[in-house]
Amino acid sequence: MPIRRLFALTSVAFLVVLAISPAKNALRSYRAYQRRFAVLAASRARSAQQARDFEKRPVAIHQIWLPQLDNRVDRCTTCHLGVADAVMKGAPPPFAAHPWTPHTPVRIDRYGCTSCHAGEGPATTESQAHGTAKDAGPPLLPVAYIEAGCGRCHSTATVPAAPLLSRGRAVMDRYGCFACHGARGREAYRSGAPPLSSEPVKTGAVWLRRWLTKPRDVDPNSTMPNFQLGEREIEELANYVLGQDVPEDLARAVRAAGDEPAGDAANGKKLFSESRCISCHTVEGKGQGSAPELSKVASAATRGWLLAYVRDPHAFNPLTPMPQYHFSEADSRDVVAYMEDEFRDFDAPKDILEPLRVNRTLAEAGEKTFRKYGCFSCHGSPGGRTAEKFGPDLDGIGDKKAAFLDFGRRTDLPRTLTAWLAAKVDSPRSFAKGLKMPAYGFNPEETQAVVTALLAFGSQPVPESYRVLPTASPIAIPAGRVGHLVDRYRCLSCHQIGDRGGDISTAPLTFEGSKVQRSWLVDYLVLSYSIRPILTERMPIFHMPREEATELADAIETLFVDPRVPEDPFQGRPASDVDPAEGERLYTALGCRSCHILGSAGGYYGPPLTDSGTRLRPGWTFAWLKGPQRWRADVRCPDYGLTDRDALRLTAYLATLHQPPAAAKGGK
Amino acid sequence: MKTMRLGVVLAGTLLLGACSGKPAGKAAAAPAPPPKPMSYELRLGRATFQHYCQTCHGETGAGDGFNAFNLDPKPRDLSDPAFQKKKTDADLADAIQRGGAGVGLSAMMPPWGRTLSKEQVEQVVLYLRSLPKH
Repeated sequence: MPIRRLFALTSVAFLVVLAISPAKNALRSYRAYQRRFAVLAASRARSAQQARDFEKRPVAIHQIWLPQLDNRVDRCTTCHLGVADAVMKGAPPPFAAHPWTPHTPVRIDRYGCTSCHAGEGPATTESQAHGTAKDAGPPLLPVAYIEAGCGRCHSTATVPAAPLLSRGRAVMDRYGCFACHGARGREAYRSGAPPLSSEPVKTGAVWLRRWLTKPRDVDPNSTMPNFQLGEREIEELANYVLGQDVPEDLARAVRAAGDEPAGDAANGKKLFSESRCISCHTVEGKGQGSAPELSKVASAATRGWLLAYVRDPHAFNPLTPMPQYHFSEADSRDVVAYMEDEFRDFDAPKDILEPLRVNRTLAEAGEKTFRKYGCFSCHGSPGGRTAEKFGPDLDGIGDKKAAFLDFGRRTDLPRTLTAWLAAKVDSPRSFAKGLKMPAYGFNPEETQAVVTALLAFGSQPVPESYRVLPTASPIAIPAGRVGHLVDRYRCLSCHQIGDRGGDISTAPLTFEGSKVQRSWLVDYLVLSYSIRPILTERMPIFHMPREEATELADAIETLFVDPRVPEDPFQGRPASDVDPAEGERLYTALGCRSCHILGSAGGYYGPPLTDSGTRLRPGWTFAWLKGPQRWRADVRCPDYGLTDRDALRLTAYLATLHQPPAAAKGGK
Repeated sequence: MKTMRLGVVLAGTLLLGACSGKPAGKAAAAPAPPPKPMSYELRLGRATFQHYCQTCHGETGAGDGFNAFNLDPKPRDLSDPAFQKKKTDADLADAIQRGGAGVGLSAMMPPWGRTLSKEQVEQVVLYLRSLPKH
């Protein structure tokens, strides 16, 4: 009897258990979503046929399978049913069409969903897929950081359609993150921080103490973070840094310069202005700001050091972006005399540059402190830079599981990777005592950008067919004398050549030889004038000797050219035969003057065209007019879609405009 | 195969039961969210606006960008509520694409239709709509 009863009971239990799986599937929320979607989509359909198609779709799991991309399976479209349907634009979640991105909705079959959004692709319940369940896989990337997804494949500094990621990468570069932290592709990174070997002859203990306390209070342009040092640590570091032996050549140069007579400050003022120091530096906040603020520099560095540095900055810091001007001995004295007069901290104590009587015990302790905080990562150390990185590698940080992160004292944070990273970037020491990462004082938007860039560091590189790498430029910068000149005047600090160089100048030099006339270029290098007077960042007058200018111009004319630029678009005819009058009419009709100055009228944004016949090669003007974005992708000069005939007439008009550069000069 | 599935289901039910005593999760008091989350499209629109439009139309769209100084007529104040109300999204996109001359206004506003993609123009319109009105 009991056996039979037991059999009956187990049978029932068995049946119940068997029913669980189909019942669970029947009750899955995606089924309800799909039914709701059918009704909603049918009501939005553009035709009766389309409506019927929506209604007839069977309820089923949808998936995108990406065998090329780590064999991903993304079932997100099981609930997000309208992602690729234009009729679902603006529909309520989860049915809305995907906003436009360079890859969606058109190439959703190649990229899937989780490659950008993260989350658990194969899951079919919301909490599992979005990673909100307790045992779920990777959580969804919050929309504020969504551009991190772009960065998984795109490893270029600037990523199109990802402004925040690009900004984050620029901030990480500028603030030297990769000096301490290793990352794939950033092995060659070098911090631009100055070596400290000349510090004892440059500054005094009072200034250095102030600097170490809070660098940004001394110089708002500084990229050195706040190490939140104690008084004792500051004293140790000051003794260590100021107790070093200065290399003999630098010491001698500084000493000799300090003994020279004072220069003429009035002439120095003129030189300072034409050298366009504020193309990089600032004076009381005015200027570009990638280099130090100068308004108090004479209270930060001794006169001898300033003078020796202005004469040869590369001897003090081989990696500095600062060019070596071709000042005469007297000229450099005058510039420094002007800085000594004007750029002083008038509230500073008199002894701000007094040398320190070095205490050897403190100095020894200072060396340990120097190592403890990883100062050598940026500044190098007397023993040279160490190969090994001070901080942990960043590869994989974007895939870290929240459970593996140490939140320490930060019980206020949600237990997510993004919250942890944002707090780490914002106040690195807030997690525990004894942490070493310094505070960078980023504003909230910079923090968001940096976290976005960090989240792009995956643990595994994406498959090769998905990678977008920086393009290696085929343009070589010549070695030898020309290379030396390019290096001496630091052309690449501001100008781009191919994929190298800085972004301070708006004029890349990649096609400069096809663009400007050689005779103009020589004159310009010898005595440059402001092509865009509204800009703060302008080409300095280097006092370049004419032979050097000729050598550079020759090299530029030979090397930095492009075969797409016609040699002579007028084919032997003079410009005056190509209907420049019609060109002039076009110039007005197209509204060119909204950006370009001609004579006294016009906008400020583009280069003035008053002397375009002297400056530009007609071939270039023509090629440019046929599509400016071919020459610089982000240039603001719009493509007017001109016919060859119209472009040629406009070129002819511009080729007839002449004015000697000396007269065009003025906006200094 | 079936038995395995059954086992999984059984184990699952048991586990579910075991887990139902939910631990009291530490509710985060003050999360540190990033500043005002802007949608991706809006961010792209802003980036395009800042790059191409701001030089004349200014940071807030008021028509006071640095390049506006020497221009006549002055660039349109895009944040003007009356203007925003009068123009549809399609009007704005059209003016951006065909330029002032294309819509019967000053040629000083260039046509961007060949320089910006259709999507970029849509994003800029989206951003224009989000400009603070004054």
